[in-house]
Amino acid sequence: MDLEQIERVVETARDRIAGASDLDELAAVESEAVGRRSEIVAARRGIGALLPDRRRTVGKAVNEAIRSLTAAAAARRSVLEEEAENVLLERDRVDMTLPYGRPLRGTHHLLTSTADEVCDIFRSIGYQVAEGPELELAWYNFDALNTPPTHPSRFESDTMYVESFDGEERRGPDELLLRTQTSPMQVRYMERRLPPVYVVVPGRVFRTDTWDATHSPVFHQIEGLAVDSDITFGDLKGTLAHFAGEFFGPGARTRFVPHFFPFTEPSAEMLVWFNGEWLEMLGCGMVDPNVFEAVGYDPGKVTGFAFGMGVERLAMVKHGITDIRHFYDNDLRVLGQFR
Amino acid sequence: MRAPIGWLADFLNLPTRDPHEIERILVSLGHEVESIEEFSPTFEGVIVGRVEEVGPHPDADRIRFCRVYDGAQTHDVVCGAWNFEAGAVIAYARVGSRLGVDADRPLEVGRRKIRGVVSHGMIASARELGLGDDHEGILVLDELGAAGPDDLGRPLEEVLGLSDVVLDVSITTNRGDCMSIRGLARELAAYWQIPLLDVEPRPACGPEASDFEVTIEDPEACPRFVAHQIDGVTIGPSPLWMQLRLLSIGQRPISNVVDVSNYVMWELGHPIHTFDAAAIAERHIVVRRAGEGETLTTLDGAERDLHPGDILVADPSGPIALAGVMGGATTEVSAAAADILVEAAHWHPPSILYTSHRLGLRSEASARFERGVDPNLSGLAAARAVELITLTAGGIPRAAAVDAHPSPVTSWQVRLTARDVGRLLGPDPSFEESLALLDRLGFDAAREGDAAGVTVPTHRSDVTRPADLVEEIARLHGYDRFPDLVRRGRTGALTPAQAAARRLREALVGAGLTEAKTLSFLGQADLDALRLPDGDPRRRGIRVKNPLREEEAILRTTLLPGLIGAAARNISRGLKTVRLFETGRVFRSAADPDDPRIPHQPRQLAMVLAGPEVDVFAATGMIDLVARVTGCALEVHQTALPILHPGRSAAVVCDGTPIGMVGELHPSLARRFGLSGRAAAAELALDPILSDLGVWEMEEVSVFPPLVFDMAFLIPDAVPSSRLIKTMGQSAGPHLEGLDLFDEFRGGSIPGGYRSLAVRVTLRAMDRTLSDQEARLVLQDIWAAVQGGLGGYLRGGL
Repeated sequence: MDLEQIERVVETARDRIAGASDLDELAAVESEAVGRRSEIVAARRGIGALLPDRRRTVGKAVNEAIRSLTAAAAARRSVLEEEAENVLLERDRVDMTLPYGRPLRGTHHLLTSTADEVCDIFRSIGYQVAEGPELELAWYNFDALNTPPTHPSRFESDTMYVESFDGEERRGPDELLLRTQTSPMQVRYMERRLPPVYVVVPGRVFRTDTWDATHSPVFHQIEGLAVDSDITFGDLKGTLAHFAGEFFGPGARTRFVPHFFPFTEPSAEMLVWFNGEWLEMLGCGMVDPNVFEAVGYDPGKVTGFAFGMGVERLAMVKHGITDIRHFYDNDLRVLGQFR
Repeated sequence: MRAPIGWLADFLNLPTRDPHEIERILVSLGHEVESIEEFSPTFEGVIVGRVEEVGPHPDADRIRFCRVYDGAQTHDVVCGAWNFEAGAVIAYARVGSRLGVDADRPLEVGRRKIRGVVSHGMIASARELGLGDDHEGILVLDELGAAGPDDLGRPLEEVLGLSDVVLDVSITTNRGDCMSIRGLARELAAYWQIPLLDVEPRPACGPEASDFEVTIEDPEACPRFVAHQIDGVTIGPSPLWMQLRLLSIGQRPISNVVDVSNYVMWELGHPIHTFDAAAIAERHIVVRRAGEGETLTTLDGAERDLHPGDILVADPSGPIALAGVMGGATTEVSAAAADILVEAAHWHPPSILYTSHRLGLRSEASARFERGVDPNLSGLAAARAVELITLTAGGIPRAAAVDAHPSPVTSWQVRLTARDVGRLLGPDPSFEESLALLDRLGFDAAREGDAAGVTVPTHRSDVTRPADLVEEIARLHGYDRFPDLVRRGRTGALTPAQAAARRLREALVGAGLTEAKTLSFLGQADLDALRLPDGDPRRRGIRVKNPLREEEAILRTTLLPGLIGAAARNISRGLKTVRLFETGRVFRSAADPDDPRIPHQPRQLAMVLAGPEVDVFAATGMIDLVARVTGCALEVHQTALPILHPGRSAAVVCDGTPIGMVGELHPSLARRFGLSGRAAAAELALDPILSDLGVWEMEEVSVFPPLVFDMAFLIPDAVPSSRLIKTMGQSAGPHLEGLDLFDEFRGGSIPGGYRSLAVRVTLRAMDRTLSDQEARLVLQDIWAAVQGGLGGYLRGGL
């Protein structure tokens, strides 16, 4: 084969490679062009019979022809392969907006997540979390908290009492009741350890309240207690203002006004400026010396502050919930809105 | 406590009358202001007029024809009242004015023809003006001293000073002394540092000495009883100014003597009671506790059974009043009464609280006695009442009151040190400033270096200790002025149990369960519906003595009734599948292991899964989840338990101890709770699961490839799959990596009484690739154990 013939063969074969419409055709065309029985391979076998000066030029042309046709076939192959894959991919297409395969996910109750949020704010400044019994002795709920035996909060119109669980009749401080506040845990906590004390206590509390939009016989509180050798009223204010800022957002302003609780002196109520009004958010005060006496702390050596807040109230204010009954109806259309 | 600003002005030269400024100050002092209300008249367009002429109506005997001058014009008016003559200054309701006993139903005054004579407007009575009940005659303003000829033509509300602003103040239970205009004025005076303009009553007493005797049998119940006789009073309406004051604080005027009692109570905070002196037997008052079986008919006509805790005012014939709570009917000052006895007494607050609560008789008087009234105020209050009664009802008081004062209370001293103040309040205010603040509040401080003897006035019975004085200092100093210091504690770490509880809750939520919160109460019907056997501890719930409803009379012994009810409600509202859980305390009739004085109140976890997308294995799967999240090994032991479907019921066992149950609800029970389809449930004790398991340690994993084989066994029906897995695990040797049961099959070629269970066995060695030969030996061991221990057969051979 002379050079001209080689060129012609290459040209023809290159056109056929480029024109191959699928991988099978390409394989056939490639085999015909550079396969063992192709003209060009036959020509290479005949090179040895040529005159030495032609041997070099023809040999070079043949090798170059095989190389270029092989490369052209490879290029065409990758084009055809990609096209074939695209067809398959197009066939795989799905509607990605179909709602399949969603993982199940429930929700935490808002009262739980709110209580966790409050506890975590206090944990971040070094307060531990503790819980106490719901069925309590009058001693812890009232007497040790400096509440006189005749205080109206002890009446059955406010407090739920229970019958004996073991046949033994209990009177006075030993009477059993459903705690009306988380404050009894202040006493239990201090009874079991020495100062300093930094703790928050979430829990369920009970009152003889009939249901309405803002009252429930069962609700939740979070108690806080800090006792150390040098705690002042400013510590109470600053700590609770810090909490309000963390919980309601940095813009939350707070205001403290005098109030009365049997177990703190001085006592205060914290108001928070939220959505354009001052809202009563929690009660607080410096721990009354009689409470320290009741737990065996020396009121001359330690001071402290205590506070208590309603979890329902916090959640209702923050999330715009207007009826407390939503928390206990367990309607999944409501629970499902929680996070 | 309603406080009209105009009334406060009796006691203070107010630097401001801005209600919001006064509110701000009261709140800063600890007196929450619940509302600010306008006290305004219910009439409109009524002016002061004078009757120029009065004469007979030409065609009627009972009404008269008048000519009324309003300062500019004269009008013809017909009037039915006879309590005035020409020259009287009256309230003239012009044509177009409005009258109303209540503001919602105003009456527009028009031009009216009465028996042939046209009346241009009317002359109004107090009742028509909404100023009280008196409609016997018209309001004669000059007689009442309320208006004179100079006021003709002026709007009546302006002349009467009828617009005031009333602050409704909520008084905390420790501050009985602020349940009065004078008490609140005293607080404001301390704030503004201005003098209190106190009342100084000077009743015009006659010469005759009192012939009443007062005996106090129980000085604790009654430390003081002041009784002042007045002879010859005339019962009638009280003066307009007094009626207006009472109306402004929301008290209906009744008659002069009653109105004075109320007026003094609101003004000074000391309740006053009046008796018809003629009705008291032997002119002898005896103060004592009630005897067993005694009764008293009170002013409201109800016969009250008395109790030994009640304090009584009695005479030798029996009880005549329920002290501090309500008077008795027999000694009531009726319209015909002439001689009266005015009582200003001090009562033991807890007893008053006891009686008023027991009888459900909370009154303005009992509210004050409950909080505590200054016993040294009784003399002043009696004098003020006597002064005002003689002013409004006439009569001659006896020369002096009988003042029975068996246990006088004098002021007491509290020693306050600079350290007491500084350790609670910090460096500001200084001790000197602190004492000055106390002085403003009426506490007299005698300083000696870093300490002071502080004398507490008797109206501040709430102040007995240094801490109480510190509150007074802080309050007047202003809470706003203390710094805001963030107090950091020591550590905020959760305990391992708390952390595990949070992880558990998060896992359940992640598995699709929603957290519910149900009440802590059950009714007997709930317990009956659970069909618990007699000895079941869940039957023995602790009962609430004073439940709100019978359905909430027992403390819950299980979370399930509440949770099943919640699931049923959701399904009835249209939901198909419901997955709920709750964690909470239940109450057992057994002593708490840590504190035997109280019942055991363990924490439980309960779940209810109902609807077509869940079955009983969704519930057993959750038990597995709980085990994985907490690291606590939990086993499910099939056994028929109460509440559950007998064939789909298992105990949950932790460390060999049953801690709960899982299964499908018994269908008849589910129906009783309103669930129509199948529902799965579980309830477990949380405390053992959340106990501290210590720190877990990692096990090394192998880098060599696994060998995986499937084995299918024919197993007798009675053998639970968990036993098969356990047997296989125990016999598989050290290279076992996993056993996964993937198929259960009955019927077909499987003989009756057997089922086929297929298990995938994964083997892997830590140090080498296992050979097929080694694996074959392991499978032979497993096979032998299953055949020997469970009576199973291998399907298809090895």
